[in-house]
Amino acid sequence: MTTPAIEIEGLEVEFPRYGTAPVKALRGIDLAIAEQEILGLVGESGAGKTTLARAIMQLVPPPGRIARGRVRFRGEDLAGLDPERLRRLRGQVMAMVIANPKSELNPLLTVGQQIGNVLRYHTGLTGKPLRDRVMEMLKEVRIPDPERRYDAWPHELSGGMAQRVVMSIALICDPRFVISDDATSGLDVTVQAQVLELLQRLVARHRTAMLFITRDIGITAHFCDRVAVIYGGEIVELAPREPFFANPHHPYTVLLLAAFSHNPRLRGYWHRQGTSAGETGPAETGCPFAPRCVRARDRCRAEAPRLRELEPGHFVRCHFPVER
Amino acid sequence: MALLEVRDLVQHFPIAGTKKLVQAVNGVSFDVEAGETVALVGESGSGKTTIGRCVLGLIRQTAGTILFKGEPMGGRRTVRSAALRGRMQLVFQEPAESLDPRFVVGQTIGEPLVALGASRADREKAVRLAARRVGLAERFLASYPAELSMGLQQRVGIARAIVSTPELIVLDEPTSALDPTARAEIIDLLIRLQKELGTAYLFISHDLSTVRYVSRRVAVLYLGSLVEEGPATELFARPRHPYSVGLLSAVLLPNPHLRRETTIRLEGEIPSPIDLPPGCPLAGRCPLVDARSRENMPPVEEVAPGHRVRCFRHAEIAAMEPATDYFEAFQRETERILAPPEAERAGVGA
Repeated sequence: MTTPAIEIEGLEVEFPRYGTAPVKALRGIDLAIAEQEILGLVGESGAGKTTLARAIMQLVPPPGRIARGRVRFRGEDLAGLDPERLRRLRGQVMAMVIANPKSELNPLLTVGQQIGNVLRYHTGLTGKPLRDRVMEMLKEVRIPDPERRYDAWPHELSGGMAQRVVMSIALICDPRFVISDDATSGLDVTVQAQVLELLQRLVARHRTAMLFITRDIGITAHFCDRVAVIYGGEIVELAPREPFFANPHHPYTVLLLAAFSHNPRLRGYWHRQGTSAGETGPAETGCPFAPRCVRARDRCRAEAPRLRELEPGHFVRCHFPVER
Repeated sequence: MALLEVRDLVQHFPIAGTKKLVQAVNGVSFDVEAGETVALVGESGSGKTTIGRCVLGLIRQTAGTILFKGEPMGGRRTVRSAALRGRMQLVFQEPAESLDPRFVVGQTIGEPLVALGASRADREKAVRLAARRVGLAERFLASYPAELSMGLQQRVGIARAIVSTPELIVLDEPTSALDPTARAEIIDLLIRLQKELGTAYLFISHDLSTVRYVSRRVAVLYLGSLVEEGPATELFARPRHPYSVGLLSAVLLPNPHLRRETTIRLEGEIPSPIDLPPGCPLAGRCPLVDARSRENMPPVEEVAPGHRVRCFRHAEIAAMEPATDYFEAFQRETERILAPPEAERAGVGA
C-alpha cells in the first residue's frame, strides 16, 4: 500500500462524567484508508461510529476530547494544525456526508446558495463561474431538473433529492477523503441503491478515499472494499470484503451476521439470551464484548485482547476467534 | 370466507383549500385467512399504513368494502358490534412512542381490557399471562417504558396487542426501529405466538428479508395500487412486475455474491400521490414503459396459482429474469458459513 489518504493511530476519545471516570467513547482506534478505497465501518448505536467520524475531522464536541492518538491526513498530523488551516482542510480536501439530510440543510437558503457557499469559501469563485460549477455538480449527482432545483428550498426536496444535495455540498470541492455517516439510512431501498451507485461512481471518478459508516452490514458487502466492525469503541474485526464475509472470525461479527439467519437454532447458538444491544453494554475492563459473548472465558473478562492479523490483511481482536 | 376481505379499497384525502386529492389507496383487494400472515410491502408513500388504518376502522374509506368475519369495517360505525371488539389489534413501528410514558408496563398491557369492561382481577390475570407469552419478566410490569430497551418495549407493545386474544393483528413495521439481534428475537416471538394463538397477521413492512421469513403471502404496493401478489416463495423466486424486480434487486444482503441481477433499473423516486395521471402507477420510473402503459392501467392477470400481477409485459419479465430466490440462497450460505465449529458443537452437546 502506498501512503494512505488517512491514517488513524491509537485514537482515544473521552467524555468526562460528573464525579466519576470519563466515558471512553473510542479506546485506541488504528485504521488506515488508502487512496480510492472505500472502507466500511459497521457497528450498533453507541459503538463509537459517529465519534470516530468527528474525531477524524477534529470536531469532537466539548467537553469531549481526543485523549490520545493521532490522525494523519496524507502524512500531516491534524492535531497540530491551527484552526484556520483546519477549516480550509475540512470541506476542501476532507468532507462529510451526513444522515438526515433534510434536517442538516439550512431551511433559509436555496439549494444553489448552500452548495455555492462552500465552493466560494474554499475557492473564492463568484458569479457565473460559481453558478456553472454548482450546476455541473447538481447534474453529476443526477438531480432531476437541476435548473429548477438550483433555486429550490430544502423543504421542497424529497429525501433522495435532499441526500443528493448534501452529497453535492460534500463533493463540490473535489475532496480527497470523504466520510459518509449513515448517509443512506432514511432512504427507501430503491433510492438507496441509486445513491450508493452514484457515490461509487463519484468516488472512482475523483479517486477519493471514503470511510463509509453504517448500521447496515448488508450495504458493506456490496459497496465497500474493506469492512471494519466497531464495538465498544474498538475495532474488533477488519478485513477485505471477500474474506470478511466468507470467514468472519470475531464472535460479534458472527452475531451480527447470524441475526439475518432464519434458523433460530443457529442464531441462538451465537446469541447469549437477554444480552441484546441496549440491554447489555460493553465491559469496561477486559474484552468489551465479553458480557454478550457465547465464547467468553475468564481470560476475556480479565485481559483486553489485541488486534491480531490472523490471515494476511484480516485482523481480529479476540482471544478465542472463531476458526473453521 | 376469509377472516379479512378487502375489496376495491379506495382512500383519498382532500387537501384543504384546493380541489386536489391525495390518492393514497386506489382500488386494493386482498384477503387474509385465519391464522396466516400476509405481508404488505412497498416504499414510503405506497399506502401501506393507510390500508392498515382502514382495516382497523381508524379512518373511513372513500370507497370499497372491508369485511372482518363477514362484518363491514372501516369506520362506518364508531362502536362495533360487541362480538368484534378486541378481535383486531395493532402493533406500532416505534415502540417508545406508542407506549404512554406515565403508565407502568402492566397498565399499558391491560388497557385494551379496560375498554372491554373486564374486571380488575381478570385484567391482572390476563396481563400476567400476556407478559409471560411474550417473554417479559414479571418484574417489568411495574417498570416505566423509559426503563426498558427497545426490544423489551416492543414486547410490551405485542403483549398489549395479544391481551384481548385477537384474531387479527396489524403489525405496522414492528421491527424497523430495532437493531438486527433484537429484530430477530421479535420476529421469532411473533412466529411463536402465531403458532400458539392462531392469530392472523397483516404484516406491513419494507424489510423484504423479514417478509420472506414470516409471511405466507406477499402483496407488493406501489403508489396506492397492488402491483403484484402471490405466495412468498413464488414471488421472491419469480417476480413478474418490474417494481417487484427493482425492489428485490435493491436489497443488499450481507453476502457479496448474492444479489438479484437484473437489467431492470428503476430511476428516480416514488412520485407524490396527488392527482395521479392515468396509466400504470410505475410508468414514470419503469424501463419497460410504453405507450400502452402510459395511458392505461394494466389489468390484473393470474400467472400462477395465487400469483397475480398488474403489468402488460409480465411475460417478457418472466423470460428475462432468473428464477432464483436469492433470499433462500442467502439462508443456505449463511448456515454454511456460520455453522458452529465441530469441536464446539460437540462441547455444547446440543
